[in-house]
Amino acid sequence: MGRAIPLVEKEFVSGFRQQTEWAWLIASAFFFGKVGSGLFIMSVVLDSRLGMLVGLLIVLVGKGGAHFLYLGRPWRFWRGMARPNSAWIARGIWAMSFMMAAGFLLLLLPMSSALYMPLAVFASICAFVVAVYDGFLLTSSPAIPIWNSALMPVLCMFYSFLGGTTMVLFMKHMGFMQLDEKFAAFLPTLEIGLLVANLLIVLMFLMGSINTGSAGRESFDLLVKGPYALPFFSLAIGVGLVFTLLMSVFGGAHAGAGTVALITVADLVGHFFIFFLLLKIGVFKPVLGFLKI
Amino acid sequence: MRYGMVVDLKRCVGCQACTVACKSENGNGPGIMYTKVLDQVSGEYPNVRKQFVPVLCNHCKNAPCQRVCPTGATYKREDGLVLVDHDKCMGCRACYVACPYNNRIFLKRGKTKSGYYGKEMTPYEKVKYAEHQDGIVEKCKFCAHRIDEGITETSCSQTCPADARIFGDLDDPESKVSRLIRSRGGRQPLCEDDTDPSVYYLD
Ligand code: SF4
Ligand code: SF4
Repeated sequence: MGRAIPLVEKEFVSGFRQQTEWAWLIASAFFFGKVGSGLFIMSVVLDSRLGMLVGLLIVLVGKGGAHFLYLGRPWRFWRGMARPNSAWIARGIWAMSFMMAAGFLLLLLPMSSALYMPLAVFASICAFVVAVYDGFLLTSSPAIPIWNSALMPVLCMFYSFLGGTTMVLFMKHMGFMQLDEKFAAFLPTLEIGLLVANLLIVLMFLMGSINTGSAGRESFDLLVKGPYALPFFSLAIGVGLVFTLLMSVFGGAHAGAGTVALITVADLVGHFFIFFLLLKIGVFKPVLGFLKI
Repeated sequence: MRYGMVVDLKRCVGCQACTVACKSENGNGPGIMYTKVLDQVSGEYPNVRKQFVPVLCNHCKNAPCQRVCPTGATYKREDGLVLVDHDKCMGCRACYVACPYNNRIFLKRGKTKSGYYGKEMTPYEKVKYAEHQDGIVEKCKFCAHRIDEGITETSCSQTCPADARIFGDLDDPESKVSRLIRSRGGRQPLCEDDTDPSVYYLD
């Protein structure tokens, strides 16, 4: 099988076929989910109530809103909680609901309350699930081999931490967050470490995808040679990771608010595009791949 | 009891009679096809082979579409049929991306509001489109409504002029489908995905 069978668009022709249903709205939901939960977790660690609130709102309005707009029957969204035993979407909705409930309750409690700590831990665990469940959702589907990678949840986790760290840096430089001095000094190093880690994971993911069979190879080719190569190399990698890394290394994170704002925008653009492109390059195998000459 | 189908690729002539029969049986509007016949061309010139490949939902025993469905709208019956409860589906399309066979169809908003002649629907379309809903996912039902009325033959298999589609009970070793699979070595599509489809191909 393989290269002799084409990537097709026509309805009545067999071949590799790109998935067309999950695109920018789902990518937006993934993006807001990761950035919001990453910021929430970081803010819990740093005791920043404003950070927690912003994180919760990003998840609720951004992620929740994108999912709501995407659903064919949005007012049936509550039905999506029915099968957490096998469906990652249901697990995600439960995690998001618990995160919201525990997170907003946390904002109302004084830090001295005995409930504060256990609730903070619980809300952070839920936020962590919100950050990574999309990765498990994509991995659990056998249909699209490039998604079927154990690195997908890891990628989600690291992008969430990176998004959270960048947002904390941004909020600190804009004067919305007061940080402990030691941590404030460590933050730029953490940002650089996460950027390097994300770059390495993306590279590992791509190398692994070459070996995911012929459909995985088609996806890989679409991303690095095909129509998605330009946005991938320029926006997802160039702007999102390399430019951000260079700006951070050469004093960006220590520099003024304008530079940090630029790093933040670049990081978020890259974050959105990497998941958008990973969705777009999803390719199904031909149904009867075994038919050969 | 496990209903299944055998598709004989040597017999299929690519006439699409099954595609049309299915559309008419289920009252599917423009662009909605539960089954269709694909042209599969493989090889490179001068060694090229073209075949007609009828495709439909395989009613997989280990159906990923059912596993990922968060609402329980996709469910499995005792007789092996994988069906969608239209009233439960929220249109998340997780099943769409989980089906390795790309056999699910999402009905975009407005899809059931206009027919083949535009907004003015024929009497047939008025009756049949009322059975569908916008914003949800649909797929081949192995003619569950016919089975429930005692007709154990799908509309596509009944219509096929070349006898290329044979419907029957895979659990019955004496059924025609079981005998064909045994004698001609039926192959399940994408069996490496461990879905255990109930459709077998003879090539
Ligand atoms: S062919 Fe696709 S839609 Fe049909 S049961 Fe299998 S996975 Fe589900
Ligand atoms: S689109 Fe409907 S049937 Fe498919 S997974 Fe979502 S709720 Fe289930």
